[in-house]
Amino acid sequence: MQTISAVFAYTFKEHIRHKAWLSAALFGLVLLGGAIIVSALGADERARLLLDLGLAAIEAISLVSVVFLTVSLILVEIESRAIYLILTHPVRRSDYLLGRFLGTVAAVAVGMAVMAAMHLGLLTLYGWWEPLRYLAALACVLGKTAVMGALSLLLSLALTSEAAAMAFAVFLWMLGHFSSEMRFLADRSGSAFLKTALVAFSHAAPDFAHFNYRDFWHQAAPGAEWLMWAGVYALAYSAACLALSVQLFDQKEF
Amino acid sequence: MNAIRFQNVSKIYRRSHLGRVTETTGLSGLDLDIQKGEVFGLLGLNGSGKTTAIKLLMGLHHPTKGEVETLGRRASDVEVLARIGYAPEAAYLNKTLTGRENLRLFAALSRIPRAEIEGRVAEMLDKVGLGKAMDQRLSEYSKGMLQRASLAQALIHDPELVILDEPVTGLDPLAIKEVRVLILWLKSKGKTVLFSSHDISEVERVCDRIGILSGGRLVKVMKQDEWRGKPDALETAFAAAVVRTDGVGSIRME
Repeated sequence: MQTISAVFAYTFKEHIRHKAWLSAALFGLVLLGGAIIVSALGADERARLLLDLGLAAIEAISLVSVVFLTVSLILVEIESRAIYLILTHPVRRSDYLLGRFLGTVAAVAVGMAVMAAMHLGLLTLYGWWEPLRYLAALACVLGKTAVMGALSLLLSLALTSEAAAMAFAVFLWMLGHFSSEMRFLADRSGSAFLKTALVAFSHAAPDFAHFNYRDFWHQAAPGAEWLMWAGVYALAYSAACLALSVQLFDQKEF
Repeated sequence: MNAIRFQNVSKIYRRSHLGRVTETTGLSGLDLDIQKGEVFGLLGLNGSGKTTAIKLLMGLHHPTKGEVETLGRRASDVEVLARIGYAPEAAYLNKTLTGRENLRLFAALSRIPRAEIEGRVAEMLDKVGLGKAMDQRLSEYSKGMLQRASLAQALIHDPELVILDEPVTGLDPLAIKEVRVLILWLKSKGKTVLFSSHDISEVERVCDRIGILSGGRLVKVMKQDEWRGKPDALETAFAAAVVRTDGVGSIRME
């Protein structure tokens, strides 16, 4: 546990010192632009539009950040050979990977928290205040971010090229939004090959339908059970990706 | 008792490019025992297998054939690394951290109890002459300071076995002398020291025994009494034992 927390702490510090403020600054610009645009709208429309715009921006910025950070997370340490000194201490490779992953997700989560604070502040000015539902939506974005982080980490270790890992991560991220459509097409397909391929892709790619809390935003909010399953899915998918990453990482020589 | 044992160890690097596999021999049939409390020097040209042997000891590489043992355990056993200190040929440290944070990280990774970490870190930084620079980021350190920080991480946990890969390469004469004093101090404390070098004069001043590697093979092992008081004995033996394998001819000014 001490080794995981030590790796977690230095990874977190490294990200915070390097990049975290960039995402918050970018988000600030998005919010400023959004506020200027919505100021021309009617009072009831303003808060709704700012809410949607802000949450979409937080999600997009968090996902881009986590993919960028995780695809280079291990490869940069291999390139700089800093990994030599870490792995020549009594550190299990699985502990190292877990610490690096958790440190990165935590750094992105801090960025999310800063963005959310700015967003909520602005929404309050426009008269919107539903903190519990807002937190639930944010937790879903965090779940999605963790899943994409774990997937990007796995891809970076499997492909050993940042560009290829990033391209695949974006591809799987897109597929993840069409899981139910892929399963529907597989059911309708007459070709056994196509059916198998579609089913395989729909299971391999993350199913982001589990995290679409914002789809319910203007209807009745999903209950605690829905949120619990989103959490279970995020944990299970991330754990599976990390377990495969450990398998690949164990075979690596430096 | 043996601190290090290589039993018929071979390491073959396989690289595949566009379906074509090439093999390079890093080490071939290495048999070597190093006793506890001994200072042993590995001498050899570039590409002779010195770093490969050290990486096998540190678990960064896996042997293709044979067994590598350190302090009575298999080298791949992560637990044994808590009793070994390792400094690579360059200071591969995370430059976003300060000297203190860096050493705190390695102290935690080496499983030093939390309550002792701060005291040990400050003491070690003072010992290597970085007491006044401990709160500067490593990116601001000179090469000599980084080398000291690297030595500090190797010694922070008071290891039984210290492995130094080319510790004097690229250092100024004063720093070389300090490394020599350090090795002799470690010997006086009963530690086992293995280090690799190109520098024959340094090796003959501090080693109890040396091994000469050439083309991945251990071609000669000598004891101190074979060179002590005999000027040029080690250099002559070295020149006679090694064969260039890098395809470079000797310099001839005729």
